Amino acid sequence: MSRREEILAKSASDRYLPPSRLELLRILRDPDASAATLTRAIECDPTLTANVLRLANSAYFGFARSVASVADAIWRLGTRNLRQLVLTTAVSPMQKQAVKGYDLPPGDMLKHSLAVAVGAEKLGRLLKVPGCDHLFTAGILHDIGKIALGTFVELDAAPILELATREGLPFVEAERRVLGIDHAELGAFLADRWNLPDEVVEIVRWHHDPEKFGGRNPAGDLVHVADALCILGGIGIGTDGLRYRPSEEVCDRLGLTEAATEQALSMILLGLEDLEGAFS
Amino acid sequence: MPAKQRIIGIADLAASADPDEQLVAYSLGSCIGVALYDPVAKVGGLLHFMLPDSRMDRKRAETRPALFADSGIPLLLRTAASLGLEAKRARILAVGGAQVLNAPPSLRVGERNFEVLRKILDELSLSLDTAEVGGTVNRTLILEVGSGKAGVRTPKGETKYL
Repeated sequence: MSRREEILAKSASDRYLPPSRLELLRILRDPDASAATLTRAIECDPTLTANVLRLANSAYFGFARSVASVADAIWRLGTRNLRQLVLTTAVSPMQKQAVKGYDLPPGDMLKHSLAVAVGAEKLGRLLKVPGCDHLFTAGILHDIGKIALGTFVELDAAPILELATREGLPFVEAERRVLGIDHAELGAFLADRWNLPDEVVEIVRWHHDPEKFGGRNPAGDLVHVADALCILGGIGIGTDGLRYRPSEEVCDRLGLTEAATEQALSMILLGLEDLEGAFS
Repeated sequence: MPAKQRIIGIADLAASADPDEQLVAYSLGSCIGVALYDPVAKVGGLLHFMLPDSRMDRKRAETRPALFADSGIPLLLRTAASLGLEAKRARILAVGGAQVLNAPPSLRVGERNFEVLRKILDELSLSLDTAEVGGTVNRTLILEVGSGKAGVRTPKGETKYL
């Protein structure tokens, strides 16, 4: 068994999410699920319900009157936005933990994920690039593969970092060369197993290689650049540090300017402050 | 070893005269940490700014002056002066201002941060004693208030004193 096969086999066990959450993700994916079905599925998990409502009431969403129930949230936010909130909340417990291998202390993975989700949305508005319905979710989940790959990165952290430093490679490429797989591919593998929408799986898969989108996935382009901005800003970065190679082709395609970079960084910081209370 | 660590997050600053305290700015990428230390007054200060120029968003500069170099540096100087620091006596250090790999011009905010920092200090007739900036490495800046020792730590884990 190659290292890559070993990593895929070990990551295939669904120990990251409890069965009830997996079932919820399946229902969320069904476009025909009624508001009543969604409400029931969410409300049978009281912790999740409480956390979804906290998030809906965070300053980021800016509702004047508080959102009091799941039914209220559907009415005020629409099912599309509610799906994103539920997905974010359902995966956030594993993102709150420390991530081995990448040396991320508790909370940093979640912080980086939220920052990229906010950044992708804000950049889309600044550059007038329409994302997709799943932009926020894709931002939240882009690095999910690190949770599973971290254990293996930890064992080989020295050779990966040494290779990246010696050859001036992005960390993700060094992961691929040493382990036979990188966190983007492993993340897409997990996202697919968890029944996440295809658009999300695709963005998770290629967020480091956005040329693969070929201009057909503006949401993927936005997540890629938002990720670069958050890394640049030092928001939730670990062992991989600044070893991230942004695609010039994608920056050009989006029309990214110095001014937009600075505006987006400022907005990310503000958005993060507005969201963080909901996860504490 | 100083017992107390005060973390200065992005868009934050602090000054201290507590000899047991350490001021720390973690994960400086393109952001810059500016440390001041007056060896006579034994007062230190640290600013962790993210962006060069507050003309981009005046309102934000009012609520979060430490977000920008041009509004953060004067505030850092005033805050440290209120504890007795004299800018002319102080050592001034800058750490950070790095880039990601092969960064296109639109993403070179670290370079702009450093240019503007130097310009502002110049206008105040102050200058940097040491700078550890640029490149593609993230850094952590530590200032020990008791001794005035300033260190920079890279992901490899060694601390280099400046």
